[in-house]
Amino acid sequence: MTNKERYKQAFSALHSSTVMPMEMEKIAAVSKKAERRTAAAVLIACLLTAGGSGVVYAADIGGIQRTMQLWIEGDQTDVVFTYDTDGTYHLSYQLEDGQSEEVGGGGIAIEDDGSERPLTEKEVLEQLQDPIVKYEENGTVWVYYYDQKIEITDRFEDGVCFVKVSNGEKTLYMTILYQDGWCTSPHRFESPDSLR
Amino acid sequence: MRQSVQELFEKYQNNLYIVACNICKNAEDAKDVVQDTFIQYYSFKKEFESEQHIRAWLIRVAINKAKNMNCAFWRKNKMSLEDFMETLVFETPESEELFETVMNLPEKYRIVIHLFYYEDYTIHEIANILKLSESNVKVRLMRGRVLLREKLQEGWENDE
Repeated sequence: MTNKERYKQAFSALHSSTVMPMEMEKIAAVSKKAERRTAAAVLIACLLTAGGSGVVYAADIGGIQRTMQLWIEGDQTDVVFTYDTDGTYHLSYQLEDGQSEEVGGGGIAIEDDGSERPLTEKEVLEQLQDPIVKYEENGTVWVYYYDQKIEITDRFEDGVCFVKVSNGEKTLYMTILYQDGWCTSPHRFESPDSLR
Repeated sequence: MRQSVQELFEKYQNNLYIVACNICKNAEDAKDVVQDTFIQYYSFKKEFESEQHIRAWLIRVAINKAKNMNCAFWRKNKMSLEDFMETLVFETPESEELFETVMNLPEKYRIVIHLFYYEDYTIHEIANILKLSESNVKVRLMRGRVLLREKLQEGWENDE
């Protein structure tokens, strides 16, 4: 008996009895909706490059509405940014093909005493300045930061990729887990274990 | 090209389950990994070049998900290898010894050994799946084989 035959015989003790595909398709449909919501939240995590050029009160949406420019997937884009005091925000802008895109999100901060509060507008804007990671449908993976678009598809080792990005003034060190989130630090590459 | 989830499930669910068990060392986490992997295939409308490309992609995703599962702080299904093995039925005592020896190898050797001896992948293919260099895969394979040979002696041929 060869080693391969021995190995296969030993591991034939394992038999799968997982859920049926039909059940999985239902789960997938639900998870796809959740994924779209996450993608929308991620999309707005692009870089804010300019302050508000006009401030108006938007009674129909609630909150303060500003027009400004953001870097969206490497392109400087005019957007309408709305912030509400509950920590939620909303962006609308036009794509290259003229179609309107609307995305929104929100966040909370946890205080030292463990209590939660909505992010302030300043904190939201600060978060929008971080680089983002995007997984394209063709399987490629990209980091967007300001006007930079960096392909990192083949830079993962054991599911982890380290990327250093800079806008000329600030350098950030990114630790990226494949399809499992990322973190940035201005000082060093954080350990992948800190993300897990 | 794309294939239906059902078709792929029938062909590869066992392969994904076994590779996930190889990493997670328990059935419940491995089942979750298989399910999550097929959900990702269903949700992620990636086009593939061939069925072999799909198979390699599914295995790569399952390995990554199983590794993540192992690292999750909330992991609830963790059990000892002894407890896990008590749930399995082996054809021979030699098979049981080989299984236990493999499962006690360091994870980085275990995955390479599994892809080579169970999935019949070449070093080049393993390097692509794990996103490692071929020389790194060769070293891991060699060290894994040495450890197996040391533990199993006559139960493992010197096939380097």
